[in-house]
Formats: sequence, structure tokens, C-alpha cells
Amino acid sequence: MDSTDLTSLVDGCRAGDALAWEAFVRQIQGRVFALAYSYAGDREDARDLAQEIFVRLYEARGQWPSGDEFLPWLFRVARNRSVDYLRRRSVRRPAGTVDEKALADVPDSAPGAEAQAIASDRRGLLHAALRGLSAISREIVILRDVHGLPVQQVASILGVPLGTVKSRASRARVELAERVLALARGRGEA
Amino acid sequence: MSRPTCDQVRAAALDPGTVPRDWVRRPEAAGHIQQCPACQDWLDAFAAGERAWALEPAGVFAEGVIARTTGADAVLADLPLLAELDPGPAFTERVLMATSRKPAPAGWRWRVSGAWQALVRRPRFAWEAAYVATVCWVLVFGNPVGAIEWSASNIGAVARERLGPPVKELRGGLETWRARMAPEPPVAAGTATGPQAEAVPPVVRAWQAASDWLRGLTASVVEACRLAWARAAAWFERLVGETPGPPTEPPAAAARSHQ
Repeated sequence: MDSTDLTSLVDGCRAGDALAWEAFVRQIQGRVFALAYSYAGDREDARDLAQEIFVRLYEARGQWPSGDEFLPWLFRVARNRSVDYLRRRSVRRPAGTVDEKALADVPDSAPGAEAQAIASDRRGLLHAALRGLSAISREIVILRDVHGLPVQQVASILGVPLGTVKSRASRARVELAERVLALARGRGEA
Repeated sequence: MSRPTCDQVRAAALDPGTVPRDWVRRPEAAGHIQQCPACQDWLDAFAAGERAWALEPAGVFAEGVIARTTGADAVLADLPLLAELDPGPAFTERVLMATSRKPAPAGWRWRVSGAWQALVRRPRFAWEAAYVATVCWVLVFGNPVGAIEWSASNIGAVARERLGPPVKELRGGLETWRARMAPEPPVAAGTATGPQAEAVPPVVRAWQAASDWLRGLTASVVEACRLAWARAAAWFERLVGETPGPPTEPPAAAARSHQ
């Protein structure tokens, strides 16, 4: 994502420009939906959740931070809304219930049907493995390793000490790798 | 010393206790490394590891080693795949319908605005607005009927002023005409007797009788017309004469209300 484009879109949205908002939604929806999916674990729930996140963003567009502070703020809003959504619906899905088949239908930017199939399969495995992690470890991996936020911002968003994020991040990665390998072996791919 | 093998070069780098650490910088080893891309990559990776060891705390470095050895590296490389997912073709439209294209929230402003729009778009709104404006005008500035009253009285006054003389003249003309048309007084009975009366031929008498009858008929018609005219004039006077006094100027209050 081009940060310059995003900055201009953010400025346009803050000024109430409807076209800028539409362009912003088109540009950011993939990331918001991915984050929502990592919390909801179901495509339809993730759509509802992502829509709620966008509605919240739209309602607060007058108070959007500018520049580099925007994306961390966006993730904080998305994360809080996701936690509220799950709490409201009491849908804390157990490990392994991720809809891998639905994920396999997700189009991928990789060219070729085979490459798409492989990428979708890997995504499915990763999501299934992420479901097996504890909530805090999963959120750390999602924010730090999936979306690439700095450790300080992850700690700020989750409201935990910086050292906790660092130590849990390393352990979570190892645990995630083990789970992925175990799942792959279970499917006869190891 | 003979030309070293790849294993010797790598063993020297890994085990500085048995081989001097700067051994790899000796001409024999340097010559091998320059010609061996595999050893160059290996030594670069080894140097990076040493730098990491120097910079990272032992625990983190150990976690990194574990990650690299358990396959977590490959998993971490795949994690950015999860950063973006396509929510489907209709998702954007759905979000826009819920945000920028959504009707305004049902607050009191929205309700007032909606009711106003519905009111204004009705065809009879202009009539209703005029009615309300008139009511407001009466409530604020007083009774404008005084002006109407003045207008009606003035019309009566003007009518009497303009129509009065012609009506009088017409009445006078009618009286004159009636007097002229009134029958002659009857001739005394004595005067009709004698030789002159006897000398009147029967044709003349018949003519006189016909004339008398015609004159009586005309008088009756004229009398009927007079009565009808009198009734019409009385009705007209009753109509226009009921209002007290013919004001020729509008009442003061009405005049003020028009200023």
C-alpha cells in the first residue's frame, strides 16, 4: 500500500470527501477483512465484523489521526471492535474450526491456478494453526508478523508490557510453526 | 599448506578453538573462498549470525535459532499471506451503503428535515402556505376585514352617488308620463244629453270606448311598471342603505394596517 496515497485518502476522508472514502474502503478493505477474519474465523462473520469496523471508522472520520499514526490507530479500532463483536455474540470459536475450504476460495494475486491453490492451502493451514494459539499469542502474531506493526505499537494496542510482547512473540512463532507442521503432517503433506 | 576444502574452511570458521580464527583470511583460504560461491554464502550467513548473537539477548537469539531449526522461518515467511484477503465483490458496495450512502440517522434533525421535505413536495403546499401566512398576518397585524368592509361601504356610496340622479330623473319622467297618460275626468251626465249628444254617431262612440279601454290598459301597465320599479329601488336602497353612513375613506385602523 502506498503510504502517500493512503495519507491523501485519509486527509480526504477527514474533510468529508465521499469519493475519498470510497477509494479508502477499496484500498483498505483487504487488510480490514483479513484482520476481521483472523478474529471471527468465518467469512460471513468476518464480513459483518469488517463492515462494523468500517462503520466505526466512518463515524469517527473527523477524529482520524494523520500521517504515520493512522494505521496503528486503525488497527486499534479494528481490534477493539473485533473483541466487542466476539464478546457480544459469544462466538469464541475453538481451535481447528477455521473454515479452510472457504479460505481456499479466496482469490490470490499469485499467477496460475496451481500457485493459487498452494497459496490458499498455506493460508488455510496458517489460520488453522493460529486458532490453536492462546488469544494473546494469536493477536501478537497477527499484529506483529501478519500486519507488520512495530513491537511498541503491538504492546500499545494490546495493552501489555513491551517485554511480554517480545517474549510471547518468539514463543508464539515457534508454537505456530509446530502447529503448522503438525497440521501438514496430519494431512499427509509432511 | 595445500589448498583447503569447503569443509575445512567452514570447520575453521565454526571452531575457532582448534583453528585460528583468522585462518580464513590466510591466502590459501581466501583463494578458496573467492572461487567458491557456496562458501561465500555460508560465511556471510555465519557472519550475520555472529552479529545477531552480539546484538540480541541470548534468549531471543535462542528463540530465533529454534525458529530457524523447527521450520518457523518458513511459516513466518508465509504469514504476510494473511495480511490481505478479498472480502468478495459486493463487500465495497455493502460498506458504502452502510456508511456514505446510508440515509441520515433518525435524529430529530433528520425527522424534521424529512417531514419538511414531504410537506414542501405536496402540490397544495402553496395554498396551505398562503392560508398560514394570512392567519399569521391577522394574528400579528390585526383584522384586515376592516379594509374589505370599507371597500363594500365605499362601493355602496359610490353607487348611490352615481346612480341617484339618473334614478330621480327617471322617476320624474315616469310621473310626468303617467300624468299625461291618466284618463280624462268623466263628463257630467247632463252634458251628454241634448241634441249634441244625440248627434254623436255610433262609430265615434265606439272609437271613444276603445280609446278609453286602451288608455285604462296603458295606465294599468304603467302602474305595474312603476310598482315594480319602486320595489326594485326599495330593494336596492335596502341593500346599499343598511350600512351606516357612506364612508368615503377607509377606517383609521384599516388604513394603518395597510401602511
